[in-house]
Amino acid sequence: MATFKEYFRGWATGLKSLATGMGTSMKVFRQKPVTEEYPENRHTTLHIPERHRGRLRLVTDENGQPRCIACGLCQMNCPNGTIQIEADTVETPEGRKRKQLKAYHYDLGSCLYCQLCVEACPHGAIEFSNDFENAVFERDRLRLDLTKPEDNRCHDWK
Amino acid sequence: MNLLDTIIKAAPEAHIVTETDGIQIVAVTPEELPAAAQALAQRPEGAMDFLYDLTGMDWGEEGLGVLYQLESTATGERIILRTQTTDRERPLLPSVSTLWPTAEIKEREAFDFLGIRFTGNPDMRRLYLREDWKGYPLRKDYDATANELTLDNEINADTTEEYTLRPDGTLECHEHQLFGNDDFVVNIGPQHPSTHGVLRLRTALDGEVIRHVDPILGYIHRGIEKMAERMTYPQTLAMTDRLDYLSAHQNRHALCRCIEGAMELEVPERAEYIRTIMDELQRIDSHLLFYSCLAMDMGALTPFFYGFREREMILNIFEETTGGRLIQNYNVIGGVRADLHPDFCNKTKEFIVHLRQVLPDYHNIFTGSIIAKTRLEGVGRLSREQVIGLGATGGTGRASGWANDVRKRHPYAVYDQVDFEEVVRTEGDSMARYLVRMDEIEQSCRIIEQLIDRIPEGPVRTKTKPIIKLPEGIFTASVEASRGAFGVLLESRGDKSPYRLHFRSTGLPLVHTMDTACRGAKLADLIAIGGSIDFVIPDIDR
Amino acid sequence: MNYYDINSLNQSIHGTLSSLMPEGLAITLEGIAVGLLIIVLYALLAIVLIYMERRVCAAFQCRIGPNRVGGRGGLLQVPADVLKILTKEIISLRHADRFLYNLAPFLVILASIFSFACLPWNQGAEILRMDIGIFFVLAASSIGVLGILLAGWSSNSKYTVIGAVRSGAMIISYELSIGLTVLTMVLLSGTMDIQEIVMEQEHLWNIFRGHIPALLAFCVYLIAGNAEANRGPFDLAEAEQELTAGYHTEYSGMHFGFFYLAEYLNLFITAGIASTLFLGGWMPFHIPGLDGLNAVMDWIPGVVWFVGKTFAVVFLLMWIRWTFPRLRIDQVLTLEWKYLMPLSLVIVLLMTLCVIFGLVL
Repeated sequence: MATFKEYFRGWATGLKSLATGMGTSMKVFRQKPVTEEYPENRHTTLHIPERHRGRLRLVTDENGQPRCIACGLCQMNCPNGTIQIEADTVETPEGRKRKQLKAYHYDLGSCLYCQLCVEACPHGAIEFSNDFENAVFERDRLRLDLTKPEDNRCHDWK
Repeated sequence: MNLLDTIIKAAPEAHIVTETDGIQIVAVTPEELPAAAQALAQRPEGAMDFLYDLTGMDWGEEGLGVLYQLESTATGERIILRTQTTDRERPLLPSVSTLWPTAEIKEREAFDFLGIRFTGNPDMRRLYLREDWKGYPLRKDYDATANELTLDNEINADTTEEYTLRPDGTLECHEHQLFGNDDFVVNIGPQHPSTHGVLRLRTALDGEVIRHVDPILGYIHRGIEKMAERMTYPQTLAMTDRLDYLSAHQNRHALCRCIEGAMELEVPERAEYIRTIMDELQRIDSHLLFYSCLAMDMGALTPFFYGFREREMILNIFEETTGGRLIQNYNVIGGVRADLHPDFCNKTKEFIVHLRQVLPDYHNIFTGSIIAKTRLEGVGRLSREQVIGLGATGGTGRASGWANDVRKRHPYAVYDQVDFEEVVRTEGDSMARYLVRMDEIEQSCRIIEQLIDRIPEGPVRTKTKPIIKLPEGIFTASVEASRGAFGVLLESRGDKSPYRLHFRSTGLPLVHTMDTACRGAKLADLIAIGGSIDFVIPDIDR
Repeated sequence: MNYYDINSLNQSIHGTLSSLMPEGLAITLEGIAVGLLIIVLYALLAIVLIYMERRVCAAFQCRIGPNRVGGRGGLLQVPADVLKILTKEIISLRHADRFLYNLAPFLVILASIFSFACLPWNQGAEILRMDIGIFFVLAASSIGVLGILLAGWSSNSKYTVIGAVRSGAMIISYELSIGLTVLTMVLLSGTMDIQEIVMEQEHLWNIFRGHIPALLAFCVYLIAGNAEANRGPFDLAEAEQELTAGYHTEYSGMHFGFFYLAEYLNLFITAGIASTLFLGGWMPFHIPGLDGLNAVMDWIPGVVWFVGKTFAVVFLLMWIRWTFPRLRIDQVLTLEWKYLMPLSLVIVLLMTLCVIFGLVL
């Protein structure tokens, strides 16, 4: 406080800046809230983009059978050991041996959503669904087997 | 005199090992290192005053060593010094912390992970791991089973050790007192509302005034660099988004550039444009969060929500195209994962218009406020010499008058084709750091506006082989992440996974500045300074 | 003209009780009834204020606020929280000074109940009435800082000590400004009796009667009162971002609840005293000369006037809290000693001159 003039100028600028601040907050006070109420907005304003990665799922063919041929490329590409494939060797009617998917273990809890498995898959047999409601009460329930229909969820959010 | 001559004059045995991206790697012996470093740091025609990074290496049979990435702030010349010692039992290297203060903390990192002791460094404690940790994890012969999970508390020592070499070759250890018995030491963190993650600052107070701050790191250290040594190159990319999650795009961009550079892979132009736009959107995202958090750290909870309101819009834009909000996984080796969403350009343009409308509100409620002004102005001042010495890049460095923007100094992607200003201030206080970032939001908007209508048509990704192997050698890349220069240093031995992958953390030098910036300030200032320096802990701990 | 004077009601109740029993017993009974009334009112007001704060703060922050418990408005959110806090364990600390640690929350509550009891809700509806009423409020509310200091000290934690010391330094400084601005109004009214002060404003509220000095005093009082109530931007004793919770970091359950209650009630008391001193308390809005208007205003009960004015001031204080960043301790003290204190002295001087020369309306 060098001079009286500065002292009073301090008062004036200070009060003016505080008044501007209060004006701004009052402006927002009168605006509508921007938050949404989930889960009420599920079928109204909630928008889940198509590319959203919710959880891995097996793509099925027209007969409802998984397209997966149990080649194991996804398992190899996973950085986190999230995928374990169990396969049986079966003989086809033509007499050739081929692998058949028995179980597709997917640990949702350790998935990094890096998409390397989807990229690696030569048959487009896996994809990420939009299903984002993945919370469960026990860790064990995150260990999924995608060959089971209840674990291979695909919720349509649109 | 060019750089090599300068080195050879001081260290006659020095020689060029190899060259990467136009940067020479020069090997010097540990005995000659101090002379070579001194000659470089005090070179009359452009001193190499910025130690960009210091990377500890384990070269197996060849011994343990260190790479010093040096840069001149005046001329922009870069060079890498390489030194090594074959003694694996008692590896000793001379410290360069008197020339470049940032080495003080980075040598601690090298000691922590590789067990190299730096003689003359005043603080040779472990940096990330517990003080009772056995072994040095980044050594190739490290036994991962040597350490059991311990649940007892770690007692932090109040002293640090400094080692010096006696003429007869034996080691001498001095102790420095960090905290005395009469210090009122307050633990700020690791669980604290405003340390922005699990950072712990041991703070010695004198009343409200701070005497000394000692950052204790490693609470979320995940060993990403070690993990990467067992991963394939595409897999290592998955880790980068999890470093500084507010620079996810830029971090990944850096690693992609490094690998692409090593493979000599051409990236489609469309992908370069998309990467640049995404980087800038990410920067706005990060700076909005910075604004929110700084305001909240100072007790203003309402502006916090303003920042988050607009950030949400960016996240929506991101999610539409990349499928992720925080962890986007968008850059891949050879381009980007998917083409832009059809709505992307329109939404981005709308967002910029909206952001310009609401930014005055941000300033009215917070920047202009007399309370914020008096709390930020003149507080936590860092001089230009200090920020360069401490390697504090990004907005923190630019607020102290150091033009360090990688986008300007070593342009990458399409930054050389756009017109933008590098925001530099000279005050060096918290207010300057804050305003630099706020002004950068505007510059990022400008960059996006210039690019968004010029995105060329074409593919977004160059096809790569399913298994990527890099040629042997050391490769580097750096980008301007949201809070400073982010760098990647990769050594390949021709395998499908890196021999050593090191990330230059943007936050580590920043957190190292806390002690310098906070001394003599008040406890409340510590929080504001921390907020204005803007570090993100997962990036520091890695 | 006041239609809602309850003095006669009080007297008739007292008369009836006295005729049924000895007077001493009657007074004791009345005392118990009034005591219960205060406690219930205190708790109810706290719930209302906390709900209001949540709603107001949400609106300032582009949020919706409580919207789950108790219908769309979230009306039952705060009662639910009260129930929760009542059932929570009260943690006892190993190295704390047990007696003082347990005593501190009660001191804080005690101080605010004392001041609360002095508020003039309506004509005849004050609980404590004495000639030095306003002086008593000032004295009683200062006990609170003792509770805060004890809480911080006895918890034996570094954060709490810093919070307590900050709060001590701040509250003791701001008492000066509060005292001086209250003195201004006492000068204007010529009495320290709170009911008398309200009665004095029958023709015109003090803020209009005392014009410039009264308006200035009102502003100074609000700032200082806000500081006294430990609320943002003066909440540096709690300073969540610095000291996690400041002086009450180590308290849990209902012990913490007491501090929380007291914070909101202190807000109400600050606003209540402001509306009593400056805005006429329960006195309806009167303009001399406009008898029609005055008569209409008189139909609105005094208690509505008082609560309405008080909540308006509460809203103003919330608006301030949810706008500004927190001050630093040295700025808090600078503001008081360099700006508010000199200003309050000037106000007192101005008001004295105005009163002497009859320049008040």
